[in-house]
Amino acid sequence: MSVERHHSQEENVGAYLLSALTEIETRAFEKHLEECPVCRDEIDRLRPAVDALPRSVSPVSAPPSLKQSLMAVVSEEAREARGEPRGEGFARRMREKLAGLSGSMAGMQPGVAGAVASVVLLAGIVAGGAGVYAVTQASDDGGSGGGSRIVAAKVDKTEVPLASGSLVLSDRTKDGAVLRVHGLPTLDSKSTYQVWLHRDGEVISQSLFSVGEDGEGAAAVTDDVENAQAVMITREPAGGARAPSEKPVLSVRL
Amino acid sequence: MHLVQEGDPAAFEQLYDRHGGASFALAYRMVGDRVTAEDISQEAFLSIWRSRARYQADRGSVRTWVLGIVHHRAIDALRRNLVHEKRRSSADGIEERFEAPESTPVEAGRREEARAVRAALEDLPDEQTRVIELAYFGGFSHSQIAEMLQMPIGTVKGRMRLGLDKLRRSLAAVAA
Repeated sequence: MSVERHHSQEENVGAYLLSALTEIETRAFEKHLEECPVCRDEIDRLRPAVDALPRSVSPVSAPPSLKQSLMAVVSEEAREARGEPRGEGFARRMREKLAGLSGSMAGMQPGVAGAVASVVLLAGIVAGGAGVYAVTQASDDGGSGGGSRIVAAKVDKTEVPLASGSLVLSDRTKDGAVLRVHGLPTLDSKSTYQVWLHRDGEVISQSLFSVGEDGEGAAAVTDDVENAQAVMITREPAGGARAPSEKPVLSVRL
Repeated sequence: MHLVQEGDPAAFEQLYDRHGGASFALAYRMVGDRVTAEDISQEAFLSIWRSRARYQADRGSVRTWVLGIVHHRAIDALRRNLVHEKRRSSADGIEERFEAPESTPVEAGRREEARAVRAALEDLPDEQTRVIELAYFGGFSHSQIAEMLQMPIGTVKGRMRLGLDKLRRSLAAVAA
């Protein structure tokens, strides 16, 4: 390493630690670090100052919905890592929930090997009035083909401040997806939540659903989500609408 | 942390409980917008969960690792220009806007630590504090800072380095 090169890079130490270099400059500086013990030592010497900077901000309480949404995804992924079939944990929880609501669901079984995911629309008796739960019964491909993907939803905090949600996507996009929500307000019997898929410039209705008193619910995205731009939820009159009549309260960009 | 690395969601929940507030506060301090700060915190913690095997205890504390990831995510958001003018919003009063957690000894210690680091930062010459804050919390590059402050890039880089050096010495003296 030449002395000139060292001098030309040495002045970048502070900017590098503060993430103030451009990507190209960062790559060049990191390459320089590989061969320059002087700069490496200087980085090690100054790093405690940079590590202290975030500690200058007093901690505050993060919104509870953040933890709910995060832990929903983490728990689902942990289940999958333990070898449960994709979406099985979720499907089981929904079956348990539905079993509690309607005895007719107690015997529901997971999908058989190779089966295409089927969507079962069930009239569920939910607190506050009759509603429709949409449950995707997960396909079981024997674990081949990798895992599902989970995308966090964006929420309109002015309309539904406590809400959070995520979309569970199968690798096989034709199988659709499952949208899970937490903290959504219950609606009266004249209204319902409606799920939409935004794809190729069209907004296509997917399913209707209600949430329980705990604000939890789930809905199926039944169409192929490949090349879709977003999945959205709006509040609509009971029975659903032909097109969204309001700005989405929750959406997932794909 | 060992249990988190083994994929235990309950252990991860504890890690979130311990560092979630500081992470959200840092993200909010940087982007000045609650919804974006939530998104950044969520993305950062999901990334931590998914890359948990990569944590190396000998490279620093869990808190430093977590806050470093949050910082990088916030920088990405700022540079993708997701927050526009909101980035200039001040974090003053954040503690009043979001209810402070119960004053446990740990929280009290962290508030004290925050005061000490802020005091050390404010103790630097103004021009050094300014470049450090614009870079670290504002997500601006050295050339953007040079343009804003109308000074040569070399001067900006020099002040960053001098400021960090002085801050390190000041914090070491407090800790001693």
